[in-house]
Amino acid sequence: MKKQSFRKTIEPYLWLLPSIILMVVLILVPIITVFQTSFCEISKSGVNRGFNGVDNYIAIFKNDIFWHTLGNTALWTVVVVVLSTVLGFILALVLNQKFRGRKIARAIVVFPWATALIIQSLIWKYIINADYGALNLLLTKMGIIDHYVNWTATPGMIFAWECWVGIFVSVPFITFCVLSGLQGIDQTLYEAADVDGAGFWQKLFKITLPLVMPSLTVSTVLSIIYVFNSFPIVWTISKGDPADQTHTLVTYLYKLSFTNGRSGEAAAVSVIGFLVLSIVAGGYMILSLRKEKQEES
Amino acid sequence: MYQKKNSWKRVFLYLFVFIVCIVILYPYFVMFTTAAKTDGEMYSTAAASLLPHNWQWSNFAEIWKAAPVFSYLMNSVIVSAGATLLAILCGIPAAYALSRMRFKGKGAFLGAVIMSQMFSPVVLLVGIYRLMTDMGLTNSVWGLILLNAAFNQAFAIWLLRGTFTSISPEMEQAAKIDGCNTIQSMIRVLLPMAAPGIVTALIFVFINSWNEYTIALTLIRSDVLKPITVGINKFYGFNFIQWQYLFATSLFATVPVIILFLLIEKHLAAGLTAGGVKG
Repeated sequence: MKKQSFRKTIEPYLWLLPSIILMVVLILVPIITVFQTSFCEISKSGVNRGFNGVDNYIAIFKNDIFWHTLGNTALWTVVVVVLSTVLGFILALVLNQKFRGRKIARAIVVFPWATALIIQSLIWKYIINADYGALNLLLTKMGIIDHYVNWTATPGMIFAWECWVGIFVSVPFITFCVLSGLQGIDQTLYEAADVDGAGFWQKLFKITLPLVMPSLTVSTVLSIIYVFNSFPIVWTISKGDPADQTHTLVTYLYKLSFTNGRSGEAAAVSVIGFLVLSIVAGGYMILSLRKEKQEES
Repeated sequence: MYQKKNSWKRVFLYLFVFIVCIVILYPYFVMFTTAAKTDGEMYSTAAASLLPHNWQWSNFAEIWKAAPVFSYLMNSVIVSAGATLLAILCGIPAAYALSRMRFKGKGAFLGAVIMSQMFSPVVLLVGIYRLMTDMGLTNSVWGLILLNAAFNQAFAIWLLRGTFTSISPEMEQAAKIDGCNTIQSMIRVLLPMAAPGIVTALIFVFINSWNEYTIALTLIRSDVLKPITVGINKFYGFNFIQWQYLFATSLFATVPVIILFLLIEKHLAAGLTAGGVKG
């Protein structure tokens, strides 16, 4: 009898075991290694010379490029997440209307989500090329410009293009999350609002927005995480150059580790990245959950 | 009067959708037309035109000789299929336990699964590289299979749990009364009913693995082991970029995935947000 109940208690954990092993070995172990490495001196050839306290962190904090990169990362995350959420929300409202060709439009909106980021980034790198790029060609043919423009003249311009590509690839995910929320809304609510004489904006803020909030919260948290950690766009378009002016944290740590052979400092940047991201994503989640609870009560 | 206002709204709606679609399709238009241009046409400003003057279809044939494109694509298929299989095989029992059993630490496990999303491979690369060196799996498709499976585990569990929870357990209980054990009732009763959700999860993990770039870029050294996302860099030399080959190859890497994605588009967003809200 006792044996039976013991089996019953451990059974659920056996079902979870394969999944736990997979994630512990391949995700948790690297996490621990990264934390450890951030407190160790690692030679250029990758040999661990032992514990060196917070030297890696001090080296990073003394580096101006790091602070510049941190600013870039904040700008990149805020600009891309905010603009693609606004655009994705509007697009979802539009695609939720009934109109001819809606299926085709929805299919087209999926494209950037399904395409590899590296391929999307390469296409945009070609489009904005100053000498033979497709954008200059298009604008010339349309008569908007009469000589080729150098779209990548300054680090700021390059970074702006990278943000644009980030928005371009993030909008579809948000659109579809919001659409799934919109489809769950009871249509009679709108009919009742019409009877009461509510206008477009009133319906938007009093019915639509509160009811898609759960979907929007999920898509925003996930977008913050993906955008913050996004590597291929910046790496493909500029590699963080010129003069390390267009890095985000992930391209910076990649360059530190795999180009400059400074794994210890790279690991410290990783740890700082986790901390910032946990505070931002966690904070956002807690705030929005609390708000939802308040509205319920 | 009312009719008129409404038709204006219609015009705006169509105009908006039209512009959005044009903007989204523009890079694909560039990819396609550039893939069919000749070398001369590519770089000369004078001869430049939106559509190629003479469509160089032979580019689509030449890429296979110019680089081991076939082996890149095969590696992508092997890595993605292997990772998908592993992720779903580990994900199904976990999702089953999470949707059908009560136990201590369920919330903690779900929390850990969601947390794992915060650690993208690129942030962990220093640790991943060390681990793969220790396991002797750098420069190996096995390493890529394991890593893609692990980093997609959260999605797999998330999507599968959503599907399983939406199916009433009554049929399985009936099967158990008829003498099935838990595993039999899951395989014979639940899984067939959950097939659409399982297919969605399979395709989603497959696409994610197919499109993965950063881990493969870091771990794979031999040309013959590269998946397509890394392999296309062959056409992207330091001094010389063969854009037409690059984009011709990219089309082969992109079109099948977009078709797969369109098959699951309807279920996917609903599954992702539902899992999140309930979790």
